Amino acid sequence: MTPSRRTGGLSRRHFALALPSALLASGCAAPHQGTGRPGDPIVLTLLSHYASGELKEALQGPVDEWNATHDRVKVRTKAVEFTDLLTTFMVRQAAGQGADIIQPYCLWNGQLVQAGVLRPAPSEHTAEITRGYGKAAVGAASVGGKVYGYPTEVQTYALYYNKRLLREAGIVGPPRTWRELEETAYRTAKRDRYGNTLVQGFGLSTYDDSTTVGQTLALLNAAGGTFVSADGRGTAIDSTAGRAVFDLEHRLVVKGASAPGINVYKAFQSGQVAMVVSAGWWTGSLKAQMGKDYRDVGVAPVPVPKADDAPATLSTGFMLGVNTASEHPREAWEFLRWLNTEKVDVKSARKGATATRMSSLQVSVGSLTGRADDMRTLLGQGSDPNLRPFLDALAYAVPEPNVPGAQQAKSLLRKNIEALWTGQQSVDEALRTTRRQVDQEVSRSW
Amino acid sequence: MVNTLAPETTERAAHSPRSAGPAVDGRRRARRHQAVVAYLFLAPTLLFFAVFLILPLGFALLLSMSRWAGFDLDDIDPVGLDNFTGLFADGSTFLTPILTNTLLFALGTVALALAGSVVVATCINNLRFQGLWRTLYFLPIVTTVVAVGNVWKYMYEPGGLVNGVLNALGLGSVAFLQDPDTALPSVVVVQAWASVGSAILILTAGLKSIPESYYEAAALDGAGPVTVFWKITLPLLRPSLLFVCITQFLTGLQSFALIIVMTKGGPGDATNVAALEMYRQAFSYGDWGTASAAAFMLFVVVLLVTLVQLWIFRRKGEDA
Repeated sequence: MTPSRRTGGLSRRHFALALPSALLASGCAAPHQGTGRPGDPIVLTLLSHYASGELKEALQGPVDEWNATHDRVKVRTKAVEFTDLLTTFMVRQAAGQGADIIQPYCLWNGQLVQAGVLRPAPSEHTAEITRGYGKAAVGAASVGGKVYGYPTEVQTYALYYNKRLLREAGIVGPPRTWRELEETAYRTAKRDRYGNTLVQGFGLSTYDDSTTVGQTLALLNAAGGTFVSADGRGTAIDSTAGRAVFDLEHRLVVKGASAPGINVYKAFQSGQVAMVVSAGWWTGSLKAQMGKDYRDVGVAPVPVPKADDAPATLSTGFMLGVNTASEHPREAWEFLRWLNTEKVDVKSARKGATATRMSSLQVSVGSLTGRADDMRTLLGQGSDPNLRPFLDALAYAVPEPNVPGAQQAKSLLRKNIEALWTGQQSVDEALRTTRRQVDQEVSRSW
Repeated sequence: MVNTLAPETTERAAHSPRSAGPAVDGRRRARRHQAVVAYLFLAPTLLFFAVFLILPLGFALLLSMSRWAGFDLDDIDPVGLDNFTGLFADGSTFLTPILTNTLLFALGTVALALAGSVVVATCINNLRFQGLWRTLYFLPIVTTVVAVGNVWKYMYEPGGLVNGVLNALGLGSVAFLQDPDTALPSVVVVQAWASVGSAILILTAGLKSIPESYYEAAALDGAGPVTVFWKITLPLLRPSLLFVCITQFLTGLQSFALIIVMTKGGPGDATNVAALEMYRQAFSYGDWGTASAAAFMLFVVVLLVTLVQLWIFRRKGEDA
């Protein structure tokens, strides 16, 4: 080694050693968070699942409008696919990089509140939310009686039916009671000589948690039952209503009117399912994919056990809440109020008609919000009549339970429903096992 | 030339004259300097291992004895061995059916893939255009699991290709993925089919390394093809078989991608495996403690199975 190299600062060897360390250190460093200089605008981050084209653009419109009209507070959107949403919340929160505003699926609210991620809504916002939204939407956005955010899209469940298949079976209209539902299912079901299902009378599907559990919980609510007990620390599935639902589904499968292995989303579009319970968002997909066959699709309220029973169904949804880690909660709540409660003109409706930006956004992508007045304005004349039952259901729907451990309880319910449908468990065993497993897991989560 | 990296023996050090002190000190300094430089060069690699192996392992161990929802590092709550006892508590599904399914899935995959690959590799070894055949059988390996899983799912569906063939033969349809009795074996077949390519590649290399003279000697002695296969090919293929067996078993015990695509662990828990359950516990239910405890239990199972496999093969005189 030459003296000049020895004394000339970093040698090549030292540089070679230092470079990877420097690169690693820079990789581990926190990303740039803004200037933070006095006078610079506050930048709020909003993390949602509006990652795809139509949804992303729909949200970006109001956000751009806010940014153009507000100098002091700017909003930057970030989006991931729904399947990655909870994981992204976890990872970013653990890394100290949680977004200021997050849009969780309401099922996770208990989990997020318990983990200290969601900030309770300030009293003035709570008042606005409870005043402006339906009971189901407010319930979905609340945990333990406290409101944690502005409800965004709300999905209610109703009965989709294929008018052509019902007509061919000599049935005039959709069933209103469970007896009619069963009769219609048996009369419309068809199989070939090898046992392959040609038409499912009533579609029951093991497609995923939401499909399997959504169908069952909608029927359970219609029977006057609930999945989670009033104190939120266990399940109430092992009840008369729960038994009635499990019995009904079991009969439909055993008698061949339902084939749970078939993906109902595809089969219904192909005219291979006469009836199925599903959420309102599906109308948009069906319209797009069925073309002119969509005229055969009808929607009716979820049938109730007896004709004089009050209607009830399930509702699920999302909300926008503020992160406890946000350094600018006041600004975040103000943005949410502007987005969710401030009324603006609706161009497509009659003159003078107004609705919130969020309601307009949701209807533009074929969804609903829990603001019934907005929905009536936006879904006025000329809109799809199949959306009407979902809109009506906002008044009587029961929100999906969102206690701590709700996600696991839902998965456990799905497993036991599948075990019932496939003959692994009897109705009694399925009810008993669901109760034991859900009680154990939900109590652990508190 | 003096090898300065070689350790100095005690004898040499004892007989060194004191007058040679400065020279020895110089050598020591040089050795120390070299050691420092060596460690500095190793530092990026050691840092990499520390960050991506030791740290996560230690964190997982900590989590396995804690309760943590995955959001705030300050909320890690030590619970001792509760997560481990919970896995084996009355009513827990971890041991049965989840761990049982995991072992059956891995065992079934290894058995099918190994048997299939031995037969196919032996056939390929006697065919022309061996490269082409190996490439064809290797194709599933380079195909994404999602594509493989979905294609097979459609084939298994009522009205799909497999049931179509059964119907054409006058047989009734089988609900392959919907029936709890057939769901796991149906997924095992796909996993074996997807992993047979890599096994064939290794076994054909193993077959090539068997000296031709053995086969010539067997031919001179009048041994038939079956005898040659059982007495020469299979015993000499044992090191390759051991490698395939261990790697396929490890893959089988840890994989869940195909299952999540084809059945999502259902119906019920019929195809649920340990890795899928861990993923759900952590990322869906926010129970990182249970997920980490399950991961360590799976590690113990993997270790035990590997040690048993090594012991069996070593007893027969082969070393991986």
